Amino acid sequence: MKVNPLKRGFLFLMGDEKRQRISIPLFAIVLSLLAGSVVLLILGKNPLVAFTSFLQGSGLLPKASYAGKKSMLTDFMSLVNAWTPMLFASLSVAVAFKSGLFNIGVSGQMLLSGLVATVTVGYSDLPAVVAKPLVVIIGMAVGAAVAALIGFLKHKWNINEVVSAIMLNYIFRYAGSFVIKYYLADPVSRQSKAINASARLSLMDTPVGDLKMEIPLGIVLALVAVVLVQFLFQKMRLGFEFRAIGANPKAARYVGINVGRNLVVTMALSGALAGLAGVTYYLGYYGSIQPDVLISTGFDAIAVSLLGNSNPIGIIFSSFLITVIDKGSTYMSSTVGVRQEISSLITGLILLFAACGAFFSYLINRSRQRARDALAQSTSAQGKGEQA
Amino acid sequence: MSDEYIVEMRHITKRFPGIVANDDISLGIKKGEIFVLLGENGAGKSTLMSMLFGMYEPDEGEIYVRGKKEHISSPNYATRLNIGMVHQHFKLVQNYTIAENIILGIEPKVRLGGILPVVDIKGSNKRIAELSARYGLEVDPTQKIEDVNVSTQQRVEILKMLYREAEILIFDEPTAVLTPQEIDFLLQIIRNLRDGGKTIILITHKLEEIKQVADRCAILNRGRLIDVLDVPSTSTQTMANLMVGREVDLTVEKNPANFGPEVLKVSHLTVKNADHFPVVKDVSFSVRGGEVFAIAGVSGNGQTEIADAIAGMLEAEEGSITLSGQDITHATVREREEAGVAYIPEDRQSVGLILDFDLADNLGLKNYYRAPFCNRGILNRAEFLRYGKELIDRYDIRSGQGVQTVVRSMSGGNQQKAIIAREIDQDCALMIFVQPTRGLDIGAIENIHRQILAERDKGRAVLLISLELDEIMALADTIGVIYNGELLKTAPADSLTTNEVGQFMMGVKQHEG
Repeated sequence: MKVNPLKRGFLFLMGDEKRQRISIPLFAIVLSLLAGSVVLLILGKNPLVAFTSFLQGSGLLPKASYAGKKSMLTDFMSLVNAWTPMLFASLSVAVAFKSGLFNIGVSGQMLLSGLVATVTVGYSDLPAVVAKPLVVIIGMAVGAAVAALIGFLKHKWNINEVVSAIMLNYIFRYAGSFVIKYYLADPVSRQSKAINASARLSLMDTPVGDLKMEIPLGIVLALVAVVLVQFLFQKMRLGFEFRAIGANPKAARYVGINVGRNLVVTMALSGALAGLAGVTYYLGYYGSIQPDVLISTGFDAIAVSLLGNSNPIGIIFSSFLITVIDKGSTYMSSTVGVRQEISSLITGLILLFAACGAFFSYLINRSRQRARDALAQSTSAQGKGEQA
Repeated sequence: MSDEYIVEMRHITKRFPGIVANDDISLGIKKGEIFVLLGENGAGKSTLMSMLFGMYEPDEGEIYVRGKKEHISSPNYATRLNIGMVHQHFKLVQNYTIAENIILGIEPKVRLGGILPVVDIKGSNKRIAELSARYGLEVDPTQKIEDVNVSTQQRVEILKMLYREAEILIFDEPTAVLTPQEIDFLLQIIRNLRDGGKTIILITHKLEEIKQVADRCAILNRGRLIDVLDVPSTSTQTMANLMVGREVDLTVEKNPANFGPEVLKVSHLTVKNADHFPVVKDVSFSVRGGEVFAIAGVSGNGQTEIADAIAGMLEAEEGSITLSGQDITHATVREREEAGVAYIPEDRQSVGLILDFDLADNLGLKNYYRAPFCNRGILNRAEFLRYGKELIDRYDIRSGQGVQTVVRSMSGGNQQKAIIAREIDQDCALMIFVQPTRGLDIGAIENIHRQILAERDKGRAVLLISLELDEIMALADTIGVIYNGELLKTAPADSLTTNEVGQFMMGVKQHEG
């Protein structure tokens, strides 16, 4: 039996189950870029130019020209500013995932955290050294409290966390809109009034040398959070318990783990990270809150987390990539002349293919097994031939 | 050669990651015989038959049915070849009637008013009643599955095959869930089916049953075919030896009992299930150190709930549980573990283990939270690995990649060995074993029985809950028989015969004294 060399090369590239954790998400990305290229070609555009402009727009490749006080570095810093909330939100989803829970309420938790921090600290005259840490603490506390409530409802009355989270999303969206429109609205932008710079977690238009750039302070916190979450799941007793519950709640109960309490703790942790996503978005990247909308970050984070195998290190890469495509789309739109929405299309395709990861893995492992069997058969046949 | 056999498997090889489940197996099954596949757990019996039934495809080799080479790609295709299979775990819809379960997928239709097609349930009921009368498989087609006992459910599975006109009937461990009386009845049914011209393939490791019904027997060991024997002319001992590949002792050596002080005392225990229905009713008993107290009973009479209540998995509605004088009625699972309760649960895969964790993590599951496995909330992975290796050596747990093997990939017998190793090593005053040998082969059963008795001889209190009467008779010092949630009879093991216990299990003998 001959194995097609193309197929053989592909199987070799995808590697064993361990390597597939990296190779399959990469495959999903390549596949979606190919699909995106087809769309661009149909529109009569050069996909290579489009993809390059994504990178240029997000400060990873130099643009042809820059406006005053702007450079590749300022573009990149602005990318990082947008990346921070996405990283937190994806971590939030991953923490819940590991314990077998689905936190679909990240966007709602982000909104409420952002709103509470805005109302309490955003317009105050507190000095920056007090205001900024306070924003962070309030964000975490509010997010944790909301998510812990979801965990508690599940533990106490077995209310499905997806249902209660979606309901809370609606409540926060409309209650938030009410507060913003009646008390915080800026008459011009019709959003909440811009918060004071002292409370803002990203330093905006900061002169550095002859440039003016955004400096997102939250990214430091986000990277620390990545390390801590990784440590929690790899090394800590609490993380071991979370993983045990996620893998088999019955067995977890049997060995004496307090499953109910852990549900609440996991959700609180997930919520604290969602809260951080909220304050780094509304009081960092964006600086104000729009009424009547729930941003998509919390929902995209579910797929981003999936693309990164719910692994904190994997999430660094997957969230970065999605942010690049999102951020670079404006520039891409202007250079290539297609609608900015093409970026949403590519993001959607990546997330779609990422969700198919388990299926790819199944196909690949089946083919690998067959190839191995064929090899074993031919070598054993050869061996017999030599003996004869 | 093909003419003689209704099924012929030639050079069948099937591999799963890390193991060869079937290695170049060739065998033929004659029309109208009872053919048994005998082998230890993980020997590859079920895998081989799953390929005949189309659930897996062989990696190498060919299958001939009625002399024609067939590529059996699905159970549906197997059904078309008139092959049927009764699985170890029944595949029935609980809230459907017996008739509905049997016709499911091939429902006969009539046209209501000549137009609207509806399922012809009346006709089906009649046909199924006829079918069950013909083969002596009595069932009431209108009863719901949830209302009938396990033995009847099994008959429904058999009827399902017969309704689909199966000629080749595969039974996977059919007697595992039955009482002795029910087993005799089933074996009679199997004989009737053969006499009616059907070909029977029986997967089992119970030598007595084979001796009673089988014509020929194929012995598998570690994926290889060892021999095909003519059963009437072969001794049970020979079959046992071939099966495990060495001499085995069929009886367990038991030292005279040496009872210590009372360890476990259960008084007036009542337990309700999730539907608030009492499944354990006013049960009282006590277990002394050095004593094996066995609870005998037909599956589903409340015995597992007793174990769960003692271990803290279910709440005691009424009554009390004391361990070495300490009241643990309302203690948490972990408090009970630390007070000295070790528990080998009935469902090893969904309760006893975390299948996606590796062996080291699973062996450390009861200790992970305390030193030396964990210091100040930080786990010590090196200690997990060291401890895992130690248990693997001491308890002879076999796995593909040692402590790093993902437990899901291990055989049932070795999974159970891992649980037992972990629990015994907890050094607990009370050991609860629920169905410790279910689905295991003779070699593993022997090993586990010896360990249970060793624990008893060390002076530990052993609570054994088993559906296997032979196991209870072999190991118990004291037997309690449970029926419908009540302990009908408690007596020293040597004062009861197997038959008496069997009758109590059926609720025949009522309360005495």
